[in-house]
Amino acid sequence: MRKRIVSNGIVIVLLALAFAIAPAFYSNESVLFQMMVFLALAQGVNILYGFTGYLPFGYVGFFGIGAYGASVSISLWHTPAWLAMIAGGIAALVAGGMLSPLLRLSGAYFAIGSLAASQVLYYVVSNSNLQNITNGPYGVNLAAVFNDRASYFAMLLVLIITTMFVAYLRMSRLGMSLVAVREDPISAGMAGIHVVRTRTFVWLTTAVIAGLVGAVYAWHISVFYPDTVFDLSISIFAIVFTLFGGGATVLGPIIGTVILYGVYNVIGVSDPQYFQLIYGVLIMVLVLFLPNGVLSLLRRRGIDVP
Amino acid sequence: MKKLKKTLVATTAVATTLALIAGCGTSGSSNTSNTSGPSGTGSATPASNEITVGTLYASSGAYATSSMPEYAGLKLWVDQVNAAGGVQVKATGKKEKIKLIAYNDQSSVSTATNLYNQLITQNKVNILVSDFGSVLTSVAVPIAQENKMLLFDPTGSGATFFTPNNPYIVLTALPTSQIWPDSLAQYLTNHGIKHPAILYCENDFDQSQNTTLMQKLQAAGITPVYDNGVATSTSNYSVLVHDIAAKNPDMVMELGYPNNDIAFLQALQSTGTKFNKTFVIFPGQLPALFEKDFPISQLSGLYTYPTPPFINYKNVNYGLTLPNFESQYKSSTGQTANFLSVAGYTTGLIVQKTLETSTSLSQQDLRAAVNQFSGTIVTLDGPFKVDSTTGAQLGETLPVGQLVSNGKGGLGVNILK
Amino acid sequence: MHLLFIRKQLENSGLLRMGADRPVLLYTLVSGILFGIFFGLMGLGLNFIFGVMKIVNLAHGDFVMLGAFGVYLGQTIWGVNPIISLLIEFVVFILIGIPIYYALVPRLLKSRDPEMLSLILFFGFSQTIEALATMAFGNNPETIDATLLGKYPFHLFGQSFQFAWLVVVLVSVAAMVFMYVYLYHTRIGIATRAVMGSREEAQSSGIHVHRVSALAFGIGLGLAAVAGGMSPFMLGGIFPTMGVDLTAMSFAIIVIGSLGNPLGTILGGLVYGISLMLMQTYLPSWSSMVPYLLLIIILLVRPSGLLGRRVRHA
Repeated sequence: MRKRIVSNGIVIVLLALAFAIAPAFYSNESVLFQMMVFLALAQGVNILYGFTGYLPFGYVGFFGIGAYGASVSISLWHTPAWLAMIAGGIAALVAGGMLSPLLRLSGAYFAIGSLAASQVLYYVVSNSNLQNITNGPYGVNLAAVFNDRASYFAMLLVLIITTMFVAYLRMSRLGMSLVAVREDPISAGMAGIHVVRTRTFVWLTTAVIAGLVGAVYAWHISVFYPDTVFDLSISIFAIVFTLFGGGATVLGPIIGTVILYGVYNVIGVSDPQYFQLIYGVLIMVLVLFLPNGVLSLLRRRGIDVP
Repeated sequence: MKKLKKTLVATTAVATTLALIAGCGTSGSSNTSNTSGPSGTGSATPASNEITVGTLYASSGAYATSSMPEYAGLKLWVDQVNAAGGVQVKATGKKEKIKLIAYNDQSSVSTATNLYNQLITQNKVNILVSDFGSVLTSVAVPIAQENKMLLFDPTGSGATFFTPNNPYIVLTALPTSQIWPDSLAQYLTNHGIKHPAILYCENDFDQSQNTTLMQKLQAAGITPVYDNGVATSTSNYSVLVHDIAAKNPDMVMELGYPNNDIAFLQALQSTGTKFNKTFVIFPGQLPALFEKDFPISQLSGLYTYPTPPFINYKNVNYGLTLPNFESQYKSSTGQTANFLSVAGYTTGLIVQKTLETSTSLSQQDLRAAVNQFSGTIVTLDGPFKVDSTTGAQLGETLPVGQLVSNGKGGLGVNILK
Repeated sequence: MHLLFIRKQLENSGLLRMGADRPVLLYTLVSGILFGIFFGLMGLGLNFIFGVMKIVNLAHGDFVMLGAFGVYLGQTIWGVNPIISLLIEFVVFILIGIPIYYALVPRLLKSRDPEMLSLILFFGFSQTIEALATMAFGNNPETIDATLLGKYPFHLFGQSFQFAWLVVVLVSVAAMVFMYVYLYHTRIGIATRAVMGSREEAQSSGIHVHRVSALAFGIGLGLAAVAGGMSPFMLGGIFPTMGVDLTAMSFAIIVIGSLGNPLGTILGGLVYGISLMLMQTYLPSWSSMVPYLLLIIILLVRPSGLLGRRVRHA
């Protein structure tokens, strides 16, 4: 137990340090920022998929709602940016609560159901009938509160809190009972685990995480259209990054995001036309040959990873 | 104990790699497309003997069709000024070559965000030019503003970009979308259209046109018999066309993106519906795209916004005239010029005029220079005139035209008043 | 608040004075039915594969897209009649499907959670196809002149409809009849139904489960290609990235019907087609939400689909 706390601690401190110091060496903060966005989202997917087995194809729905929650709060109520970030989280919490009946579904049904839900959220937000609130298809302009330094560190904060929560799940009773529920809900229920309550708690937590990430993202890019923050590829990236590293670990999604997003930025610039192809093939190879991620290679050799 | 050590080693090793990659994994990704001659030394610092122009293009994805010709037009400008020995830059008092640094954003907004930052923070370009259209331009607006870089925006006509408190943007090659329908509303009032129908897509570009059009029509006492928005992803217009036909409109206006226009025209074709007058936006900009999908007989008679090359401005006083541009574009790219290549080239011209006018390379002075020559030059894209506070384009307006067969198997346009 | 908007829209659009608009309503309903039959065809292949293998082919829409481009290229390059292209495609895609099955599915079925992993695996496959198709066909939408299938409109209930729709409906019905005959009147079809019932039992009663499944997978792709071949006449322009939306739409259709039940697919198609057309006529700006909203409502209210008997384990 102690060694787990130590190793998780090391990962989190290094993560915080890396992103706190990196801007001094590498001035394209936008790349670093977006890497943090995907790190946090991948951890969100990790919490839900890794610990409960629910694959949220529509995770981007919460991200988008968070972005719009923050935007509406700034443009309609003129709140300060930090309060708007919290409003984004709350908006996603509300959306998560409304969509919690989806948890009644299992497997592919949940995955597709959540995808459909994210599309519904998108069509509602972007609909011109709601123009007075969301500005509909015209998108959002928050340039008045734009602050790339502050939003960068807000993102870092969200990332660290999220990662700490994953580390907590890794080590706590709650995490263990979640894994038990994932493996066999009926026996877990008999063993006294409150299945519905724990699942709902995790679901809402991941919704809030995505909402906060979306809110900070909105603050950082500050001029965007609805399809920018409801872009399905955002969920897909987060899922692939998580799978690549390996779910239900702290380090898996980090490894996955840093390597794959790094690769994305390298080949994405030099040979973008092959990018989608490489990703597609990579996903297939992963599922067929390494369904538990690259970290499972270490684990098979008896190395414990945080 | 041994296991603990093993864990620690593994953790630190992985975490260090992570830190390393996070720090520098993406820094080696610069891919400059240097279309200048051998003069470019690769140094990205301003001054010296060249001006760096940074831009993005999309070789794949939703905007590739429009982004690539726009980029090609800009490149043609770079090649031409460099062949002439460079631009006469007032700030340095001598001719400077242009070095173009271009990245491919693949139509992805998040990639574009990174790359705009890359151009400003890594390449430290002197001049920033955005990619095609409002979506890919949107993210550049706050980045440019924050970094106090003047954004030369060729075609991003989004309604939210141009505000009095942001001096760091200039729309160079077409007017903002709200003022596009001025000519259309004028046409309707002049020609006694009493019962028009409007079908628009719910996006910034089309809906802002619908709003303007509705305002102007109402002011003229015209009430459309049909005015509905559909999602931009709509691909099947058959039932919509039938619904509109049931209202017996005397003119139908479909405001969409190229894909919507094509799907709409296809629905007309397949249902055999013939409206009295039909207006669509993009045949006037991208005729080749439409000629590939529809026979000339179906396209002729359509109303549209004609743009150069359909319009040949006679009083050009800056840059190539249209016929010269068309032939030089053809010989250098092997492709036929369209409006977007004109837009890319025009943006180059505006950059050139700015450099020739501005007394320094500071971004505020560049912006002031644009105001200074605004209203005085006419390019092949029409008279250039910006709003001096918001940077929105007020010149280069789009008339209404009717497509006709040019008798040589292609399309021509009758410009209407 | 939404209700208020909807009510306002209804008033504007005239649904509340429906009597005056009867021809529009009738036309909308009949189009909904015609499109519904085609949408049934769209879901058929996806549902068949799910029924036999319990895997979700998220690349379904991309095979539809390939089918569409097959007909388009056949028509524009070699001048082949779309119906002939369709028959050729059906056979070709069955033949392509069999090796794909052996390369991917047996390995997948051995894993911990085949249903879930199939989702991700076939998503990767979908991305791969989309990337290759974009390289091959470019980004622009392509169209086929729909009057190719017949110039003169046909009349139904005093309304005239384009002839192409009639052809598409006939093709869809033919494909459904084919499925019925295959499943109920051929030996391999009866074996397929046994596999749909229980893979293990079928195995133990001496059925070559993999052989049966491979053919079923091929037929599933073949049906997708046939639906694709008809889609230029129903859906407007075709382009390489259309697959994802089509997959979502097909999934909505088969969930509305009920997963694994071919008859349900037809019903799902009809419900979907009619509601989409009604929305397009009376609430156009909300019509794109239809597939997703229907999907969620059906999933939550009646998770086993309209024709489902067994309740899904949650």
